[in-house]
Amino acid sequence: MEDDVNGYTRTRVRSMMAEERQGEDVVSEFLGQNPHLASWVESLQSQCETNKQWRARREFILRNMESFPTVQPGVASPSLDRLLSLSMVWANHIFLGCIYSQTIMKKITEMAEGIVVRDVPVKKTRDEIMGKGKRPAMCEIEAESSAKKPKPAANESESRAGGRASARPGAAAGAKAGLPPQAPAEHQPFFNRLYKAVAWKLVSAGGFGPNLDHFEILRACVESSKASLSCVFVPLKDIPDLPVSRTQKEGQVCELRCQTVYMGTGYGRDESSARAMASKEALKVFQGRKVTVKICRRRFRGRDVEDLVLLDEQPRNSGLPPALDYPFQSEQPVGTLS
Amino acid sequence: MGVPAFFRWLSRKYCSIIVHCMEEKAKECNGVRIPVDTSKPNPNEVEFDNLYLDMNGIIHPCTHPEDKPAPKNEDEMMVAIFEYIDRLFNIVRPRRVLYMAIDGVAPRAKMNQQRSRRFRASKEGVELQEEKQKIREEIFQRGGYLPNEEIKERFDSNCITPGTEFMDNLAKCLRYYVADRLSNDPGWRNLTVVLSDASAPGEGEHKIMDYIRRQRAQPNHDPNTHHCLCGADADLIMLGLATHEPNFTIIREEFKPNKPRPCALCGQMGHELKDCQGVAREKKGEFDQFADSPPVSEQEFIFIRLSVLREYLEKELTMASLPFPFNFERSVDDWVFMCFFVGNDFLPHLPSLEIREGAIDRLVGIYKDVVHRTGGYLTENGFVNLERVEMIMQAVGVAEDNIFKKRKEDDEAFKRRMKEKKKRLKAEQAPAFLPTGQFAPEALGRRGAPQPIHNARHTAFEMRMQGQDQRNKDAAQSLKALMRNGNQALAGSSVGMDPRGQKRKAEDSDSEPEPEDNVRLWEDGWKQRYYKTKFDVDVGDDAFRRKVVKSYVEGLCWVLRYYYQGCASWKWYFPFHYAPFASDFKDLKDMFTDFETGTQPFKPLEQLMSVFPAASGNFLPQTWRALMTDPDSSIIDFYPEDFAIDLNGKKYAWQGVALLPFVDERRLRAALEEVYPDLTPEERKRNSLGSDVMFVGRSHPLCDFLIELYRAESKEGSEIPPELCHGVQGTLNLDEEPILPDKPVVSPVPVLRDIMQNSAIGIKFKDPQYNEGYVFKAVILPGAKIPSKVLKPGDWENSNRGPWKPQLGFNPNRQQAHLDRSAFRALSHSISRQQHRDGPYSNAPPPGSYHQGQHRPRPHGGHIPSYPNSRQYDAYRGPHASYNPPQPYARLQYSNPGWNRAVQGQAAAYQQNQQRAHIAQPTYQQPQQRPHQQPQRHEGQMGGQGPPQISPSNGPGEYSSSSSILNSVYFHPRRSKVFRSAPSMWWTS
Repeated sequence: MEDDVNGYTRTRVRSMMAEERQGEDVVSEFLGQNPHLASWVESLQSQCETNKQWRARREFILRNMESFPTVQPGVASPSLDRLLSLSMVWANHIFLGCIYSQTIMKKITEMAEGIVVRDVPVKKTRDEIMGKGKRPAMCEIEAESSAKKPKPAANESESRAGGRASARPGAAAGAKAGLPPQAPAEHQPFFNRLYKAVAWKLVSAGGFGPNLDHFEILRACVESSKASLSCVFVPLKDIPDLPVSRTQKEGQVCELRCQTVYMGTGYGRDESSARAMASKEALKVFQGRKVTVKICRRRFRGRDVEDLVLLDEQPRNSGLPPALDYPFQSEQPVGTLS
Repeated sequence: MGVPAFFRWLSRKYCSIIVHCMEEKAKECNGVRIPVDTSKPNPNEVEFDNLYLDMNGIIHPCTHPEDKPAPKNEDEMMVAIFEYIDRLFNIVRPRRVLYMAIDGVAPRAKMNQQRSRRFRASKEGVELQEEKQKIREEIFQRGGYLPNEEIKERFDSNCITPGTEFMDNLAKCLRYYVADRLSNDPGWRNLTVVLSDASAPGEGEHKIMDYIRRQRAQPNHDPNTHHCLCGADADLIMLGLATHEPNFTIIREEFKPNKPRPCALCGQMGHELKDCQGVAREKKGEFDQFADSPPVSEQEFIFIRLSVLREYLEKELTMASLPFPFNFERSVDDWVFMCFFVGNDFLPHLPSLEIREGAIDRLVGIYKDVVHRTGGYLTENGFVNLERVEMIMQAVGVAEDNIFKKRKEDDEAFKRRMKEKKKRLKAEQAPAFLPTGQFAPEALGRRGAPQPIHNARHTAFEMRMQGQDQRNKDAAQSLKALMRNGNQALAGSSVGMDPRGQKRKAEDSDSEPEPEDNVRLWEDGWKQRYYKTKFDVDVGDDAFRRKVVKSYVEGLCWVLRYYYQGCASWKWYFPFHYAPFASDFKDLKDMFTDFETGTQPFKPLEQLMSVFPAASGNFLPQTWRALMTDPDSSIIDFYPEDFAIDLNGKKYAWQGVALLPFVDERRLRAALEEVYPDLTPEERKRNSLGSDVMFVGRSHPLCDFLIELYRAESKEGSEIPPELCHGVQGTLNLDEEPILPDKPVVSPVPVLRDIMQNSAIGIKFKDPQYNEGYVFKAVILPGAKIPSKVLKPGDWENSNRGPWKPQLGFNPNRQQAHLDRSAFRALSHSISRQQHRDGPYSNAPPPGSYHQGQHRPRPHGGHIPSYPNSRQYDAYRGPHASYNPPQPYARLQYSNPGWNRAVQGQAAAYQQNQQRAHIAQPTYQQPQQRPHQQPQRHEGQMGGQGPPQISPSNGPGEYSSSSSILNSVYFHPRRSKVFRSAPSMWWTS
């Protein structure tokens, strides 16, 4: 068990900030020092809980014990039940995808601050399946929450060992992928500059149209903004997650990124035509009033990942094409599914 | 069992188990409705002793029907339930016992399913309401017309759960109903009625099973009792087989797929809610007043004869050269057990076993292979031999990989076919452009030789101009529309009106988006992926995998025990959302020893707390409800507002797995302890576990005994004297608020009258009790007569016994009436040839052809009318009543006095069955004769009403004519030819 926990922490080390790593170690260290507590807390594991889920919930319980001063180890009490209930609310939310009322969600988000869960399962709630408009599109909420997050986290980090809360699976997944929530904000100024460069370039080229050399324009603009464009090519037949009904088997697909931010995907018979198509798609984004960098969820090699995406302000009705490359990959523990 | 496919599969494979019900309809004379006298012989030519009603199967369709408008209030619901029971009673006509069981508190194992159903139902209800409201507003905005919305509360079907006021009220109403019928209906006169309401713990059908099990284990039980159980669940078939009673029949509504439903908004047929236009109904045709009643508005019933199913199973399961003696009863138990793998209410089904893919056949095949090596049967009296089960599971496990690959292939092939079909259908529509004039396409060989083309250039020019003209016109039109509607309509109208440039829509080429499947069972590494995505554990976590398998094995043991011995543990449940793979069932031997004994069921309100979502909290007391919503509640985690659904390869949300958290019993009880003092006395009463109640009418032999008990005010329970009640045993306890003869019964439903002249008496009833550890034997009882065979023996062809005559209904010797040529002419005159209804079980031939295989023309084949279209006979199935010759019922009263129970003295009641069998025998050929016949007893009693022995030439012909006309029509030799090669005739061929 001990070993297991350490091993688990080790794999996490690279991607985590120092204080978060500490949080993990604190649990095992703390339990090592208090063996009586350890045996009691282990008795709280429910029979159908996996070790991974239990470790997370155990941390939740241990971290919040002090705010329930009436909880005494080994004694059943209403306040212990309340703590257990909240720990289950949090675990159900993270691992089963349950949603509770807002007050409760807020509460558990606060309580879970500093707990890091690796590889959170992706679940779709019933409301999402039924296509209810209750929640706005995924990427927006993520962008919002990630924009707000850093401030309270910064305040709190002084008083608490924990770092960032992992409330929604999405946000948590963002954390594990090493995609810091402030990433969009960091990239935004560059793309504001790029937006202006593209606008002027297009004016001089006589406006956006089908007969331009889209790649050349994009490349020139990016380079004038002191950056470079990265193209990734993948043969179409090697891409998973395509609709089964797709009959085309030949050809290349190109994905364009700039400073790790995804800009567009294109398909063509050969690499250059695919690249041209991708550039055209990317330039389309620049036709709006502004461009925004957001964290969006998209498919990559058969699983969902958080990606940085350049978007215009129009609401997207169709999902993003699957990612061909994942620049944050190196920092992520190797998934079993890929 | 929540597996609708199971019944479909069963009725297709074993088609002879189904017999259509004959129902005598109430007649009307000068506007006065004459009720059917159910004391008359059963029109189905069989007599049932006991009728068991699984009431939840009745309550649901009566309170929120799918095919007709919902009842307006609770009173209407109650009346609908009464009518439904009356209808069933009229069909089945039980002679001894009517047992009504409402679902009480269920074992924990069932609660997870209930929880998921109720959480979904609550959400679906709200969604439907929202959608209705939205469309209603849209329609009004467009100036549509809709009937006024009645001021009624949305009926939350979740209230059909033990412990709610609704269920309490229902129990009261049913008591009133029973008292009323016992007092007033001649068919009920000698009936013993047992009502087990929601306060008695246990699921309805399992309370019934418990009753049967406990009755047949006591020495006074009549081993030839004919049971009839009503309910639609497929697991009733399993339960019926598990009783090992030779005469067991199930009655259920005939399942008709794709029945038209009225629109939920305007109540008209023909469109769905989302297409509702709010248009007043147009009068169409002459008989428009019938348009609102759907074509076959009344649901029909079918019997499922388990004795025939047992015959089928015997043919299928019998194995020669076994290392141990073959015992059919034991192999039936094994068959029942294997069906659990495919699906049951308590466990998720194994991923590799899908009933649509012939999983049961596969299992039976494996079973027959493996049983040679196992050295014995898998189960005995509901106890599982795990070592042998492991051998079966390992054999399934070997095939698992191929099953998944095959499934994928079939799936792809299906999609391809559908796509091609779509394409074909599209191609059949007219092409977008057709040349006209001399270029117009022409059918081949219409006009001698093809005409030469004249002036092709000019014609082409004309066609071009015409096209341009058309475009100009369209443009003008859209411009006009633009001017009329202003700018905002531009986008819409230009799309709608532009005839050219109609691009194919994106969805057109690609079918609907598929739900993503991360598990991809058809690709290597499926097992790891499955455990990773479904259970969130890594490949190496063997301990966890074993935990799942162990729970599943416990589950299998629990379920089988539940079916054969009753609830082994109220506490046990399967604590995962998914099943393991068959190949993971290894080293099962020591996985399971026994269940915790002495567990207690939840109290009704506790159960409500553990199955309801917070949205249905209004059925609970205030402080209890608060526990579901208060952020400081110590059980708040049980009540998520929204929850994830794993589609698990399915398409719709309702098919998926609801990932709801499980209830922690300890925490629930601890939390409730604090709010228990808040219950009112009324709620406390509702929360207590109640008892079954037995009712009899005044003319029942037991009545005097009961009256004596009440007079003596005996405090302790007394046993039923077996001779007074057809050998039924049990303990009686005085009811606190009893229904007593001559004490008026107040009607709980305002529209129904109080019973002023009550002659029913009610008393608490308890099933016979047995010692702890008593094992109910799963065997045929000594003295039981196996009903005569219905299926065609395999060696019939060689036996020289003449042509095989299949049996249609319950009566093997039914006389068939025949129509001659003129009769067919008359019928065909009045029935349109267009009328044709598909068989209700799609692939199966229509019911008339059940035994047809090798049926040859009968000797009187001289009557064969030459009919070009054999299909039309189907049409005769519908309106049975109209072919009833009017007089047979009237005559029957004289010719068959044995039925006229009213004349018989009370003392003779117990013997009635013997008599009945005796009298009935020449008439109806009861398959078995009752033991101890008492010949000629009735002569004295019958007065001079007529000779009790009826000559066969007279009686049966008279009576059965109503139904056999119809059947002989189906059975016409011409027709049998049509089905001789039907694929589902696998058995006889």
